[in-house]
Amino acid sequence: MKNKANKYKGFWPAFFLAPFCICFLVFNLFPILYSFYMSFLDWNGYSEKVFVGFENYINIFTKDTTFWTSLVNTVKIGIVGFPIAIILGLIFAAMICNLKRFKNLLQTVNFLPYITTPVAIGMIFTFIFEKHVGFLNRLIEALGGEAINFIGSPVWAPFVISFMIIWKCTGYYMAMYLAGITSISDDVYEAARIDGANNVQTFFRITIPLLKPVTIFLIITSAIYAFQLFDEPNLLFTNQSSSTVGGPGQSCLTMVWNFYNQAFGANPRMGYASALSCLLFLIIVVVSLIGLRLMNGKEEA
Amino acid sequence: MRKVKSALTALLLAVISFVSVIPFWFMFSMSTYKSELIFQGTPIFPSDYFGENLKTIFASNFVQSYGNSLFISIVSMLISVIICAMVGYAMNVYQFRFKKGLHLFIMMTMMVPSQIGIIGYMIEMRNMGLNTTLWPMIFTWFANGFGAYWMISFIQSSLPLELVESARIDGASEVKIFRSIVIPCIRPGLLTLCLLIFLWSWNNYMIPLVFVNNANNYTIPIFIKSLASAYRTDSGAQLAGLTLATIPLLALFIVGSKSFIKGLTAGAVKG
Repeated sequence: MKNKANKYKGFWPAFFLAPFCICFLVFNLFPILYSFYMSFLDWNGYSEKVFVGFENYINIFTKDTTFWTSLVNTVKIGIVGFPIAIILGLIFAAMICNLKRFKNLLQTVNFLPYITTPVAIGMIFTFIFEKHVGFLNRLIEALGGEAINFIGSPVWAPFVISFMIIWKCTGYYMAMYLAGITSISDDVYEAARIDGANNVQTFFRITIPLLKPVTIFLIITSAIYAFQLFDEPNLLFTNQSSSTVGGPGQSCLTMVWNFYNQAFGANPRMGYASALSCLLFLIIVVVSLIGLRLMNGKEEA
Repeated sequence: MRKVKSALTALLLAVISFVSVIPFWFMFSMSTYKSELIFQGTPIFPSDYFGENLKTIFASNFVQSYGNSLFISIVSMLISVIICAMVGYAMNVYQFRFKKGLHLFIMMTMMVPSQIGIIGYMIEMRNMGLNTTLWPMIFTWFANGFGAYWMISFIQSSLPLELVESARIDGASEVKIFRSIVIPCIRPGLLTLCLLIFLWSWNNYMIPLVFVNNANNYTIPIFIKSLASAYRTDSGAQLAGLTLATIPLLALFIVGSKSFIKGLTAGAVKG
């Protein structure tokens, strides 16, 4: 019997794990390590590579203000967008979880934004928020208000992106919370009802605390998502004839967009961009480590 | 009182669903207008220019872009799902050293986005001579952290280990067990993961943006973008293309919406 177990120790696990490990090394890990090496170079993509040590990192923190601008923008857009999407998702989930009819239909319909191609989202939102011809401004004008240049103004544009996030993610978060609510035992609600708790009390005293693992998961994943924001801001300004980087006054320049522009923009600085991506990597690793810690702590408790 | 309350709830839910769906309607309805006319009125009702817009995109290389996108998504999906299923099988059936470490490692890879190493990836692909092909957009899905994690937990919950055990006693080889016992057992999980990878690779924007350098390699998002130029943006044609690009996703989603949502929510809620 022991021999038999040994047979399944050496070769076969390696055989089944090899494709994943090899692909991970070649297509994921190596590029990250190579980027790390690149972050110590000064290189525009074709000329001679020059080793500059920590200069790129020093420049990011001391000389270059766009890094800080992009960090502030990313956090701003994320802090406005994601909490609203999470809270709305929770409320809607609580509202539809007891419906007898239409529950699946509502879930499916509200999930649609999540599967939509970002290019389509960018175009549709441009059409809705555009100054002269956009749907929203026509509505405002019809109601007697004055048109607002949402996309062209550095004050409004980040909010438009936050709104895109809310539109895209609320249905997804709702589905997450619905799955969470379904896994809560009916007995708990029954007991609360017998004790005379009303709907609102049940929601705050039972549903929210028991959904804490889901909430923590959503906060972590949305924080990671926030630091990756690129598609939405970039595509919102795609159809503008002027090719502005970062939207009006760079108010929508997120960290990844800044990174993309440094690496593949008009004036490529590969080494500098690599340093940016390494910092981004560091931020995401720290965020996810804190997150894993929180989640695991929850499980042990 | 109760009636008023439930009526209010219904109204609110209707409004929310309306907000979710209305942009889709705009997309479809605007794609039936001539670009110059889209903004003349509010395009709530479809017009009659859809055919012309289709002609415009078919005259340019829409068909090829569509084919490229399909090729990328289907190949990525098939290979990635097989690789992830193999990981799931190994992590559930075998005992080996570093297993716990590997598990933690897979959890970590789930968190790290592929954009981080994109500069290194681009240089690697250039040195391999693949940067003018579609492969860079496919390789990136092969070792998918989420997929591996999802397959590990799915196999854990749906594959009876006794089945594997008895097949071994009957003398079946490991490859045969995997192919003819494990795969049929975990079909729903495989299907969910297929849908997810298809969705993600179909919608991917940044990697094609970096790698596509000629019109023969356009994917749908890049093709749509290429219709916008400094001189004239043919929005009608763009939207017609997007409408057609959304159809496979909608079809897949409606067919598999239950397992789709289940898959996406699996990360947060165990079981």
